[in-house]
Amino acid sequence: MTEDIRDILDIERGSGPQISKDEILGTNKKKVSLLSGNRQNRRPEGMAREVFALLYNDKKDVPPVIETESGPTYKLQKARLGMRRVRPWVWAPFVNPAREDSVAFYHWRRVADEGKEYPFAKFNKKIEIPEYTDIEYKEHLESETWSREETDRLFDMCQRFDSRFIVIQGRWNYGEYENAVKRTTEDLKDRYYSVCNTLTKIRGGNINEAKMFDAEHETRRKQQLERLYSRTPKQIEEEQGLLQELRKIEARKRDRDRKTQDLQKLISAVDKQNDSRKTLKIDKKTPHHRKRITVPVRPTRVDPNNFEATTIKFPDIKNSGVSTRSQRMKIPANVSQKKVKNVEQALQSLKIKLNPISTEETCQNYNDLRNEIVLLNELKAVCTSSDFELQSLKHQYETLNPNGVFKIPSELMEELASLSTDEEGNETDIIIKQEIIDDLDTEDVHPIPETVLEL
Amino acid sequence: MTTNNDSTRVKGTSIVKAIIYGNTAKYFGQKRSEDGHTHKWSVYVKPYLDEDIGTWVKKVHFKLHDSYETPTRVVQKPPFEISETGWGEFELVIKIFFQDTSERPVTLYHVLKLYSNGSDSELNEQPVLSEFYEEIIFQDPSTYMKYVLNDSLSNNPQIAKENLHYEEIKKNTVNQLVKARKKVQDLTVLYKERLKKLRETIDKYKDEICALQSQCSSSTLR
Repeated sequence: MTEDIRDILDIERGSGPQISKDEILGTNKKKVSLLSGNRQNRRPEGMAREVFALLYNDKKDVPPVIETESGPTYKLQKARLGMRRVRPWVWAPFVNPAREDSVAFYHWRRVADEGKEYPFAKFNKKIEIPEYTDIEYKEHLESETWSREETDRLFDMCQRFDSRFIVIQGRWNYGEYENAVKRTTEDLKDRYYSVCNTLTKIRGGNINEAKMFDAEHETRRKQQLERLYSRTPKQIEEEQGLLQELRKIEARKRDRDRKTQDLQKLISAVDKQNDSRKTLKIDKKTPHHRKRITVPVRPTRVDPNNFEATTIKFPDIKNSGVSTRSQRMKIPANVSQKKVKNVEQALQSLKIKLNPISTEETCQNYNDLRNEIVLLNELKAVCTSSDFELQSLKHQYETLNPNGVFKIPSELMEELASLSTDEEGNETDIIIKQEIIDDLDTEDVHPIPETVLEL
Repeated sequence: MTTNNDSTRVKGTSIVKAIIYGNTAKYFGQKRSEDGHTHKWSVYVKPYLDEDIGTWVKKVHFKLHDSYETPTRVVQKPPFEISETGWGEFELVIKIFFQDTSERPVTLYHVLKLYSNGSDSELNEQPVLSEFYEEIIFQDPSTYMKYVLNDSLSNNPQIAKENLHYEEIKKNTVNQLVKARKKVQDLTVLYKERLKKLRETIDKYKDEICALQSQCSSSTLR
């Protein structure tokens, strides 16, 4: 690294210490002599530094045949096993407190752990099942659906099976109790918790500790889960399909909203253009009242949200200084080439020269004209895409509705017919365009052909 | 330049000066044997009105093709014109400096024209003319510059005789542009109406199809 920099800066390679890998790793033992002894090989005159760097240059020995790298690595430091002293183990008896017979078994345990309780004893959890007296039962716990015997048996089983109600329910009608009243898990739980809650209440316990159990809700929940689980693959498929349909419908709706919004923008832009055109006419007729007329023109200038968004912003030099008129007719560089080309094409077909004589009036008109062309081009593009959309809709409609499974109303047929004339209208538009071009040479204003007016 | 120190800008003032720039060229009739030149040409900047352009223009730089000796030619006083001989067309850079030196110079580009119909056309001895009309706008000029600009107009100059035809061009161009605008606007209205119709139809169809689809899906479910 330092060598490189020295070479680049053309500084004589100093006699200072050369940094090597060994030095960084701190195992600089026997190689020092080797390094200092071999410093004679300077770069030959005219040899590129990069090429010289490719040469084997570390030490002048023949490179070793087998790998000899034996310096300290990160891995060695990591694997330091067996560094601590061995802790002694003994074969000792132990008593498991979970067992009632207090039998002593033997196992290996650390000497240091001697006298400690059996570590697994803590897993022997016991649930406290409340008990009730005869008086308590008679006064508070009588039930229409549950007999005393049944309740007793429930609490007994809760004790035996640690309130595992599924197990209890499984054993409820087993053996000698085969004819006992059938109870669901929810029934059992409901009875158990209501008894528990009543007991806490009459004994003056904390009401907040009362256990909530809504048997009905629980039943419904299980039913729902059951249904969800037992759906057939076909049903699942159908559900997915419906969800997808819903998504599609929503997307289509959004798309449509967006399109109508864009369209609304465009239409309002056209309206505004027409407005400004009217004011422009007045402007021409009464040049003396220019000051007053600028007021109605203002809104189109000030309101930027739709009109100016699509049009070209020509440089409007307001800064002090000198400029030429033709600068104000330049299309700024940020306008896309395609747009510029389209405008130029339109100008060409209108037989307008690209750089007209640069007076104030021509400059204004020329810039306005080009913006109007931009607007028209955009309208045309939307028309074309709408045409396509209608065509595809027509196609979709026809495939959806093949052989009159649903009858198409006659008025819809008419709509289709008028659409095809619309397409013809498109062609006549081109003809009009041609006529417009021809018109420009003649002086009189050419009336719009009737076919187009019918549109 | 005694009043040059009055360089404060007069806000809200805008003075427009019209100029003509371009070149004339004439064929020798044959190729000159010593250097191969075929044309004599001159390039110039002159006022549109019959005024003394020297009152407000300080000097004009004409930057020729690099193959000319001293390609940048400076003309210090009117007429701002240089004449040369040559055989090829190239782009000239014309830089106009103003009497108020704090005002930045204006740069114009002009393609020297020697051949009336492209360089391959038949040579004849008719002189070739290629010139352009341009307007220089002085926005908020300094008091001095304003004075100088108006000074040349003091005797109310008319349009120079040789430039009278530009008035016709101006009128025609505006007429053409206005007419073209009308066409475009009319066409825009037509397109707008057509678009409205189209959208209405499309919306109607969409509703129909939606209805159909819902019908379809509900019938397959059953």
